[in-house]
Amino acid sequence: MRVSDLENLGFTRITDGDGDLKHGYTCDLLSEVMAKAESDTVWFTVQSHVNVVAVAAITGIRAIVLCNGHEFDEETIKKATDEKISLFTTPLNAFEAGGKLYSKGLK
Amino acid sequence: MEKVDDLIKRVQFYFREVAVEEFMTSPVFTIRQEQATVRAKEAMRLRRFSGIPVVNEKEQLVGIISIEDIIHALENGDLNAPISQNMTRNVVTLSKKELIVDVAKKFELHGFGRFPVIDEKKRVIGIVTQHDLITLLLSKLSILYVHDARRESFVHVENYRSIPTGINLKEEISEFQFSIDYMDVSLAGTGASELKKFLLSKGFSPEFVKRVAIATYEAETNVVIHSGSTGIINVYFKYGVLIVRVEDYGKGIEDVDMAMREGYSTAPDYIREMGFGAGMGLANIKRCADKMMIISEPGKGVVVEMNFWGHENESIRS
Repeated sequence: MRVSDLENLGFTRITDGDGDLKHGYTCDLLSEVMAKAESDTVWFTVQSHVNVVAVAAITGIRAIVLCNGHEFDEETIKKATDEKISLFTTPLNAFEAGGKLYSKGLK
Repeated sequence: MEKVDDLIKRVQFYFREVAVEEFMTSPVFTIRQEQATVRAKEAMRLRRFSGIPVVNEKEQLVGIISIEDIIHALENGDLNAPISQNMTRNVVTLSKKELIVDVAKKFELHGFGRFPVIDEKKRVIGIVTQHDLITLLLSKLSILYVHDARRESFVHVENYRSIPTGINLKEEISEFQFSIDYMDVSLAGTGASELKKFLLSKGFSPEFVKRVAIATYEAETNVVIHSGSTGIINVYFKYGVLIVRVEDYGKGIEDVDMAMREGYSTAPDYIREMGFGAGMGLANIKRCADKMMIISEPGKGVVVEMNFWGHENESIRS
């Protein structure tokens, strides 16, 4: 699966970027994400502040899907553009959003 | 022993107010001067001492008998002579009120392995060895924590007295430096992200860099959330080991032992709502770094030193 496939699944794209996705990860505790998420991951969270970009850049997360209809901070969008991290939003909760990708074969 | 002296020098800033009575071994095993030297030899063998203070009938210190003295006695066939004949009379002593800085100086100056501690009547009330200086002091205050991946396989206990790299970082030029001069928690990790880019540009492998970046992120975030002050990240590469040192000048850690526990955090609620403060930071550092050392004392800031080297199936260069 590729980052661009997220658009076809109904997630709203906020910043550019593409690449292979091999894993998905759902969590709102940043240290937990740092510790457990693998590279080439799409991350489902409700955290929208700019630090999620740093977490993604360090961990090798390619795309962040912000759930429950939350919106990203301006600063987060700017930083994600710089770091080439793809941001998406969705009104779905993290369980529903992750389930969409899981059923498409992403583990 | 040089390494121990080095360590003492490096940490003495944090401990300079600590007095001898707080870390000496007490009570102390002594031996009477009129006893045969062979008794001292047996006591050393059984108790694994390398030296014993010698006292007179009033329990006053008159000398010290060391393994060297025993060897001399053996050479001269004097093992049955009284200890007073074979002991070293010129003993450097400590008083219980002396500060650790002075003790460190005495170790350096005299090169002895141990110093008896005496009271005003010259009675032996304790002894300080270099070993005491490290173990007792550090474990008692629990303000220096060391995790070493190499030790874990054969020592299954946390240890508070491993010796950090003997490299004097003051004399080394930092290859990468980043000032943690912001207080906004949402910016945490800026330095770690910069470091990641820097290391990748220097040809380190992505897997290796990820470990370094995660550990640095956690240490940097701790400075921003907990120190209430600014800090600095310095990176050195020496003898195949990457050393990341994150220092702050803030309020310090009250109890390092507690802070190391996974899930324990002192972060306020608003920080937790942002997804920080899960109490995983130090645990994450420990998991990523091959060796970590924390030095802290309330009010005197925190130094986190992390060492990284390549694992069996991980090359550090790409």
